[in-house]
Amino acid sequence: MSTTTPTHLATQVYQIFIKATPEQLWDAITKPEFTARYFHGARITVTPDHYESLGPDDAVWGDAGVEVFDPPRKLVHGWRSMYDPTLNEESESRVTWEIEPDEDGVCKLTVTHDRLEGAPRTAESVSGEGWMGVISGLKTLLETGRPMNG
Amino acid sequence: MSGMDDDEVFKALADPTRRHLLDRLFARDRRTLTELESELEMSRFGVMKHLRVLERAGLVVTRRSGREKLHYLNPVPIRLIHDRWIDKYTERQVSALADLKAELEENAS
Repeated sequence: MSTTTPTHLATQVYQIFIKATPEQLWDAITKPEFTARYFHGARITVTPDHYESLGPDDAVWGDAGVEVFDPPRKLVHGWRSMYDPTLNEESESRVTWEIEPDEDGVCKLTVTHDRLEGAPRTAESVSGEGWMGVISGLKTLLETGRPMNG
Repeated sequence: MSGMDDDEVFKALADPTRRHLLDRLFARDRRTLTELESELEMSRFGVMKHLRVLERAGLVVTRRSGREKLHYLNPVPIRLIHDRWIDKYTERQVSALADLKAELEENAS
């Protein structure tokens, strides 16, 4: 088992274009009724000073501070993988959501998960399919009004 | 870029040097132009040109870190192409084979 995160996983960047307004995107990221439909069923509530994620059974999946709360442009919050006891032992990392309006009613969303140096197993588990599944689900929800597999 | 356009992604992928660059970034991203250039038999200008095409297609995202411009691989457009163009067709093949199996087994019994 590795104790340090491979360099290429310590900072992960995912970018996607979504046909939605910045406000719609912001709501979809910060309100539980939306997140439940694309984020593994997690009900996520973000306020200016607190990030909370609850599983479908009300188990606490995430509980962290909010560093930047600038609707509808930028959100930076802490990340602890509380949904998995082994991952939860690792140190806190950070997730940044940036929303930039593009052409034709499309927004560019960039998700950066960094400070993963002390969380190698979290880095591994969220990489690739992890974040990609979440943000492509977010795109499907906003563009079609339906969750990915619903 | 429009950002909603598969054409840019297909165009970006239709070149061996750009696919090689993506593979290099897949192995390890967060790299400067100088690092990427040192691994390719190509001028700095040539590498820049290819990186620009990849960036336009959204396959490469750059971030500033102090004085450095770092290049990250963004796998999302490939995933979307996969969902749109590959899943759909392989699914039908798989289910056609499953149907064939069911039919053959039914006839055999």
